[in-house]
Amino acid sequence: MSFLQLEKLRKVWPGGAVAVNGVELAVARGEFVVLLGPSGCGKTTTLRMVAGLELPSGGTIRLDGRDITRLPASERDIGMVFQFYALYPHLTVAENIAFPLECAGVPRAERLALARALAERLELTALLERRPRALSGGDQQRVALARAMARKPAVWLMDEPLGTLDSARRAEMCDFLRAQQLEHGVATVYVTHDQDEAMRLADRIVVMSAGEILQVGPPHEVYDEPAGLFVARFVGSPGMNLLEARSTGRALELAGARAALHFAREVAPGNVVLGLRPEYVRLAASGVLTGRVALDAFMGSHRYVHVETPAGRVVALASIDAPSAQGEQVGLEFDLRGVRLFDPASGSRIA
Amino acid sequence: MNSSAQTGRGLAWALVGPTLALLVAFNIFPLVYNIVSSFTNAELIGGAWRSVGGANYARVFEDELFAGALRRTALFVVCAVSVELALGFVLALTLQRDFKGKQVVLTTLLIPMMLSPAVMGLYWNLVLNGNYGVVNQALSALGFDPPQWLTDRDYKFWSILLIDVWMWTPFMMLIALAGLNSIPTSIYEAAQIDRASPWKVFTRITLPMCAPVLGLAVLFRATDALKQFDLVMAVTGPNDAATQTLSTLLYQVVFRDGSVGLGAAFSCVILVLVIALATVFTRYIDRVQSKDVNA
Repeated sequence: MSFLQLEKLRKVWPGGAVAVNGVELAVARGEFVVLLGPSGCGKTTTLRMVAGLELPSGGTIRLDGRDITRLPASERDIGMVFQFYALYPHLTVAENIAFPLECAGVPRAERLALARALAERLELTALLERRPRALSGGDQQRVALARAMARKPAVWLMDEPLGTLDSARRAEMCDFLRAQQLEHGVATVYVTHDQDEAMRLADRIVVMSAGEILQVGPPHEVYDEPAGLFVARFVGSPGMNLLEARSTGRALELAGARAALHFAREVAPGNVVLGLRPEYVRLAASGVLTGRVALDAFMGSHRYVHVETPAGRVVALASIDAPSAQGEQVGLEFDLRGVRLFDPASGSRIA
Repeated sequence: MNSSAQTGRGLAWALVGPTLALLVAFNIFPLVYNIVSSFTNAELIGGAWRSVGGANYARVFEDELFAGALRRTALFVVCAVSVELALGFVLALTLQRDFKGKQVVLTTLLIPMMLSPAVMGLYWNLVLNGNYGVVNQALSALGFDPPQWLTDRDYKFWSILLIDVWMWTPFMMLIALAGLNSIPTSIYEAAQIDRASPWKVFTRITLPMCAPVLGLAVLFRATDALKQFDLVMAVTGPNDAATQTLSTLLYQVVFRDGSVGLGAAFSCVILVLVIALATVFTRYIDRVQSKDVNA
């Protein structure tokens, strides 16, 4: 049974712009759900409606069976981590963490003891008497998390909480967040535009664009079986290779290809977009396509080789054993198990 | 020592010199002159000076004039600043949210602050005039027996206070408004999420986050009210026992009575008080600043 449920959720701004258009989502108890999408896709607005900071224009929000759509934020049982932390600058770290408890009427000694215990778990003990401005971004983030945890709310909401951290700190905080979430088993809705973060954290990813949900699924599913062109392009870095092709029923014709690709399934004849992740493309002496290497990007454990072919630019995953192929003429071999087909007009998945 | 270092030193003196000269001419010399005169029987009309030792200072502390002016000034500062702070803050809270015509209301409220205190004094003389003033005419029309605002010794001090409040509440409001607007919305949102009641938000978030800037405003207003001169001069004149402040007392002693020596002693004592207060104020400013940096 779902714990947090969004039904036909809508938000229209006073000017008439539609921010969120009929979002349907069910979050289970203890589940970590990530709303993923480019800026302006409505993910933050959705989160803020769940928080009670924006009033929906339509639809229903249910928490544990109770309709909370019109309740003010202060009457919902939620904890939230804001993008820029929103810590109280004039209060110490201890007072910040204890503030939700202070509002709940917990006596001073008791709430400070609780804050101290929480700080110990989040390795903040040394900072308890400091003020937020004297803290690094990562530490401020942990304080914000501790504050969100203090009252033991039913749901955690996080609005791009790691957006301002450097990449090393971000990866570290990601794992830390996930560990905390698993330990507490609290249903969490997390907003980000960073697909690495999304895949790292989520039980399920919700890909959004232009106020609508495009696909909901576990990270591997969103990655392997994108529901449409947008998801294929947005998820994964680099995104899926997308090439214009023609289907002749049994085979796929690609501009400049030496031979037609034999696809396992029957596809209606016509134009299609062929999608293939870089890990299904191999550099080979002779392949289906040939082209010049435009960019050979070293990633540490592997390389991404960008090849300019007559069918378009194709990125191949290559091992670091081979020397850089920058500027060279290479052949590309496709592993057809990875082929996904999309309708070029609607962008939806065909096969 | 090479010549460029010498030119550098010459240039430094050339740049600082004029300011130093002005400082000596208009600050240091008068100060010394004042201290010296305070031990003499100097008169405004001239004549020979004679040292009178500490006699002037003895009069300062024995004379009920000084103690009265000090008490009155202190009362004035405390009342004016606290009423202006409270009213200004309440006004700022009401004017914080956006509404139609906000700019017009704000501008109207700021007008009193922009006008000269001397003009304001004369204007309020008309408004509060016992016989033909607007206020008393209105009160009479409503059937009240109106008081003599500017001549009754029980009322005139409070009338001047009222004018000061009318003039300077907008200043407090402006500063409070700036303080309120500097609190990010996300802080209030966080407080909502943390389930803070409106009262809690006000006492734990709004007020403490505005406090440093309000403290500065109080400081500015207090220094200003301490020097209260123009309103008193315009409304009752310098020699009114009910309204005499430290500044008007000095004026009366030196320029009306012509007792330069005694006036100098008065001003030296006032100077010591002002230095003490200024120390308290600078300490406060230092604390606010260091809070901004570290806290």
